[in-house]
Amino acid sequence: MTSLPVHAQLNIVTTTGMIADLTKNIGGKHVKVTALMGTGVDPHLYKATQGDLRRLVKADIILYNGLNLEGKLQAIFEKMAHKKPVFAISAHIPKAELMYHDNTPDPHIWFDVALWQKAGVRILEILKTQDPTHQADYERNASAYFTQLQQLDQWVTTEVQRIPESRRILITAHDAFGYFGQAYQIKVLGLQGMSTASEFGLQDIKQLKDTIVQHRVQAVFVESSLSPRFIEAVVKGVEAEGTPLKIGGELYSDAMGLTDTPAGTYIGMVKHNVNTIVSALK
Amino acid sequence: MINDIWILATASLVAAACALVGVFLILRRQALMGDAISHSVLLGIVLAYLITDSRALPVMLGGAVLIGLLTAWLSDSLHRIGKLQNDASIGIVFTLFFAIGVILVSLYTGQIDLDQECILYGEIAFIPFDTLTIGGGGNIADGFEIGPRAFWSIAIVFMIVLISILITFHRLQTVAFHPNLALSLGINTVFWHYFLMTLVSMTTVASFDAVGAILVVALLVIPASSAYLVAKSLKGMLWSAIAYSQTSVAIGYTLAYQLDSAISASISVSAGLLLLLTILILEIQKKRTHNLQKAS
Repeated sequence: MTSLPVHAQLNIVTTTGMIADLTKNIGGKHVKVTALMGTGVDPHLYKATQGDLRRLVKADIILYNGLNLEGKLQAIFEKMAHKKPVFAISAHIPKAELMYHDNTPDPHIWFDVALWQKAGVRILEILKTQDPTHQADYERNASAYFTQLQQLDQWVTTEVQRIPESRRILITAHDAFGYFGQAYQIKVLGLQGMSTASEFGLQDIKQLKDTIVQHRVQAVFVESSLSPRFIEAVVKGVEAEGTPLKIGGELYSDAMGLTDTPAGTYIGMVKHNVNTIVSALK
Repeated sequence: MINDIWILATASLVAAACALVGVFLILRRQALMGDAISHSVLLGIVLAYLITDSRALPVMLGGAVLIGLLTAWLSDSLHRIGKLQNDASIGIVFTLFFAIGVILVSLYTGQIDLDQECILYGEIAFIPFDTLTIGGGGNIADGFEIGPRAFWSIAIVFMIVLISILITFHRLQTVAFHPNLALSLGINTVFWHYFLMTLVSMTTVASFDAVGAILVVALLVIPASSAYLVAKSLKGMLWSAIAYSQTSVAIGYTLAYQLDSAISASISVSAGLLLLLTILILEIQKKRTHNLQKAS
């Protein structure tokens, strides 16, 4: 590991756009951050380009989510960590705070803002050890951003409370919103399992339909990185039985919105999701 | 730079191994065997996971090779014993296996991420980072690094394929072109079919692990098809298939570098373009000889 020139920006490569956003907010002007997975890319289906190889080779620090979000890539990152500063941002989150399905942790930690802040603390530690000269700046950026995240966390809590309790049911295409449901007390139901390749059974659809009719759920949601056809099929099925159901809008789940749009930052993405959910369900 | 060399070396070996077995698949009208195996491995990894409760790579690879073999063997048996067409038999077996895999996933493993896309299929761009280390007594940092794991596994598979074909060339030739003669000579054709299918399954799964599915399916079919158009003997076809596959890798990697695009897709596209070019040149030649004949 060579020590860095004092004046140079740290070249940081991240896997998802969410991690890139978090790192930019903490690193400020001392870092140059690139995300490998672009807008609207399902991390499960990410294909690397030749340039991604170059970006990883040139990176001073590589940050990834971990908890198997990056699939087979994670094993490669773990090997690279012996030679290069490569870190899983989820590594220091206590096991008790993670959600598990059959001993496998749910990787979608960014849906709980408080948990995401813990990932931020980890990034702050990494930046401070890798680039000690700018420690004070990183501390200052982080505490300013963490204040924003705390306000966001509060805001989400109060917003979700505006939905009548009996109608607090979030139905989407795949199980990405588990942490969101746990943190903000909303019941989450998904059509697909966690893997975006698995399919769902007739029983799953029937149960989902029964829940929708029984609890008078008014809306279900499509996700930006997944095809909307499954959810559209559910809507048609429920409507055929005479219960009105609408598509409440598009949620960002595994990737953020386009850069330079409101949903192109982490905070914007969370606000977009919460506004969409609340206005459709309340 | 060293990274580019490792990627090119691995891609070249994958391409060569796939081109060699691809030639026999094309001749036996089983070109889509690779595609079939790319689907049926789902059953292999699900079963391996359910039995061992582990998602470790060696376990997954083992399950995949076994199911790949079973796919190749079963579709071959269905063709020979059930008298169904080759393409139909392949279609029946791999969809059945894939469907059983999907049912098992939704029954037992719905909550965890288990699919061939994220567990088995490798990413060619990251080959240089997934290195093998020997020695060091469990501590990887102390060991001696000998290069990418994918390179060594595909190198071994390539050597096995090459040596097998060299040793058994005449037998394979007789079985491929003169099955009746082979039978009358007392050659056990069934054995040679299975022998070939074992090579196919091993090559495909090792290549999936190294470079991902799409490139493997393309490399099994396209270079061998181009070779089929130009070659006049089995030996010629094997050589031209290798030449086509290596050219595709070279052009494809250059394209990927220039365009910053996915490497495996660029190599596949190059292989396709070479095939089109071959057809075009052959057509022009045909027209020209036709015109010459007319003129004389």
